[in-house]
Amino acid sequence: MSAAGPGDPAPPRGGKAAARARALASRVAEARRGDRAREGGRDATPAVGHPGGPASWRRADGEGVALHQRGWGDSRWSYLFKGDSRYARAEAPPDGFVEAANERGRGGDVPPIVQGPMMKAPVWTWEVPLYFFFGGMAAGASFVALACDLAGDERSARVARKVALGALVPSPPLLIMDLGRPERFYNMLRIFKPRSPMSAGAWCLTLFGNLSAASVAADVLGRPRAAKAIGGANALVGGYLGSYTGVLLAATAVPVWARSRLLLGPIFVATATLAGASATRLVLVAGGMPEGHPTREALGRVERSAMCAELVLSAVNEHRLGRLGDVLEEGRPGRIYRTAKWLARAGLILRLARRRGGPWTHHLASGCYLGAALCFRFAWVGAGPASARDDEAVARMARGRGTVGEPDPGTPVVVVQHR
Amino acid sequence: MSTHAAPGEISVRRPGPGRMGFFTDTTVCIGCKACEVACKQWNDLPADGSEFRRGGSYDHTASLGAATWRHVRFVELLAPSDIQKQEAAAALARGAGGQLPHIPAAALADAGGGVTEEEIPDLVDLAASDGGETGPHPPQVDVAAAVADMDRWVFMSDVCKHCTNAGCMDACPTGALIRTEFETVVLQPDVCNGCGYCVPSCPFGVVDRDHVDGRAAKCTLCYDRLEDGLEPACAKACPTDSIQFGPYDELVDVARRRVAALHDKGLEGAYLYGAGDREGEQLAGGLGAFFLLTEPPERFGLPAQADSPIQENVVPATVAALGAGVLAAVGVAAAFLAPKGRDRGVAVAAVAGLSIVPDAVRTLRRRRAR
Repeated sequence: MSAAGPGDPAPPRGGKAAARARALASRVAEARRGDRAREGGRDATPAVGHPGGPASWRRADGEGVALHQRGWGDSRWSYLFKGDSRYARAEAPPDGFVEAANERGRGGDVPPIVQGPMMKAPVWTWEVPLYFFFGGMAAGASFVALACDLAGDERSARVARKVALGALVPSPPLLIMDLGRPERFYNMLRIFKPRSPMSAGAWCLTLFGNLSAASVAADVLGRPRAAKAIGGANALVGGYLGSYTGVLLAATAVPVWARSRLLLGPIFVATATLAGASATRLVLVAGGMPEGHPTREALGRVERSAMCAELVLSAVNEHRLGRLGDVLEEGRPGRIYRTAKWLARAGLILRLARRRGGPWTHHLASGCYLGAALCFRFAWVGAGPASARDDEAVARMARGRGTVGEPDPGTPVVVVQHR
Repeated sequence: MSTHAAPGEISVRRPGPGRMGFFTDTTVCIGCKACEVACKQWNDLPADGSEFRRGGSYDHTASLGAATWRHVRFVELLAPSDIQKQEAAAALARGAGGQLPHIPAAALADAGGGVTEEEIPDLVDLAASDGGETGPHPPQVDVAAAVADMDRWVFMSDVCKHCTNAGCMDACPTGALIRTEFETVVLQPDVCNGCGYCVPSCPFGVVDRDHVDGRAAKCTLCYDRLEDGLEPACAKACPTDSIQFGPYDELVDVARRRVAALHDKGLEGAYLYGAGDREGEQLAGGLGAFFLLTEPPERFGLPAQADSPIQENVVPATVAALGAGVLAAVGVAAAFLAPKGRDRGVAVAAVAGLSIVPDAVRTLRRRRAR
């Protein structure tokens, strides 16, 4: 099948040539998609029209189609709807009758057999955790810039603002790459929808990017007060940029994410802060900041405290998750999670060896923290699909039989999947 | 016009039609899959990997997905045999999470005379033996036993639930998912950019992103047909009226009377999934497409309780996260402004060391469970 077919209707905006170019580009994209579909063993040829184009569909105005009865009358031919039939009782059952039946049907413990799949696994790939890493680093660096300004170290503040912008730059491309239709990325800013963390996050990322660029521009143009003010506002926006990713995951039906809802945001903030602090510290050191400089020491304290906070919060969260936290210990996400924890511990313990090992042990520790932050991101995003595919976990969460403190009779559950 | 749509929702509002929905009665479903075929034909959906006797089941189409908007789920062998229970317990002890991917499957038969594929009546054999009664070959299958086994089959035509509190619609950042004037939830394919956030936000596992097309897709309750006064294709095709379409309130009334009639006949496990619940116990605020079931919902891959995950979680999660964000910014500033010079290397190393303890305890407990 070729991409030939009835021409695309010209969009109202833009010139004729531009419209033609757009139509051609869309056809080329659709033809490529069609090729991919056939390679995958699936014929996506539409019955009418051409792929991606409008079908030859026409509203049945006026008299309607054959055998059509007005107002969905064709759905009410059946005897089932009429008074007394062998199908349904003539009069409605007493109040509370169906309610009680429903309660018996849906109440109690998880039944002995769960026949999956219970839910769909998230479709996100490696771009999303990598974005979480960079976005968090940008947010953490914006905190550092604000703190440097408050402490009066303007030179370091300028560097921190540049780190924030540098970490932010790869974020939009990563997010666009993960879309199913990357060419439509601008639809993310089509509406502002506060109830959707992804919409709020897209706007937050846009705002942060603009503020970040503006503050760096003010630095370059030699306007320190403007840079300070914009940088302060950016740290406020950064408070959401570093934390909304946790909300985004927690606001899904995936058991391991949803049941971490109170701690996932704080855990992600800790990751963001330590990534921002470690990156800024390494950049400052590379820029020749001497040992014993108060900013260098303070950044060391920040990254260590954030790492400790992350370890403690993770331990509390794992305890609260109970059975639902198994996905953080098993398989590939479990291995990455363990790696993250050991990198974190290694970094913290290197602190003891600093007096003998000199500054390089600290640089190594910062590297460990960055690696831990990256691994934590990949582990958390990777645990989602594993948890969604764990039909028993999904069934348990719905019945309130999963996390610590919820009743659990402990009877084995058989999972059936006709895969 | 009464509306269940929340005021903040993006919805088509126009006077006239009220809420329309589906009532799917599993007690009269015969598993013919005519609804699946009708849906695919009307909506021009591609075939996606049907496989004969998938995992030992007669359900040869897998599950709801981006190209399967109606799916007839087959529930075979309603109770696990003792062998199956033992196998599951052993799998749990091994740490496999009780996952037995192929029940019934030949693998279990190898594991010591468990359930074999032959325990499900093979309709091909059955048909051959029936034809053979007059021929030279005697029938090889005990027809009476096979028919008795068929009693233990239940079919359920699954579909998008068109929730009152729709998780997918709450999640959608582009506004591609909207509520229509029929109070159904429809995905606009010309707006969707395939971000995939609706996929884990649906507690019923309905909407999915198509790996070829790149966009998410799901049942529209035949929005195009409804606008022309036609009932949806699946309801039109259903030969037993297991799928009934109509004004929501009328459907709930019929369903309630149907439950009463089934209880009269002795089927006291019959209940409604998604309608007729007490206030506060509803599934996702009440389902526009609801079901009459006779087995626990998990047998049909349905959660026993569900709501829009965003409406459940987003406020507490955001409060906790924003609080942590502010705390982190203040903490960083405090680290810069605090009196310097005190080395807390030992304390830091202690946290690192102590964080090993809960992990070690959990690992030991698992080893012991094995």
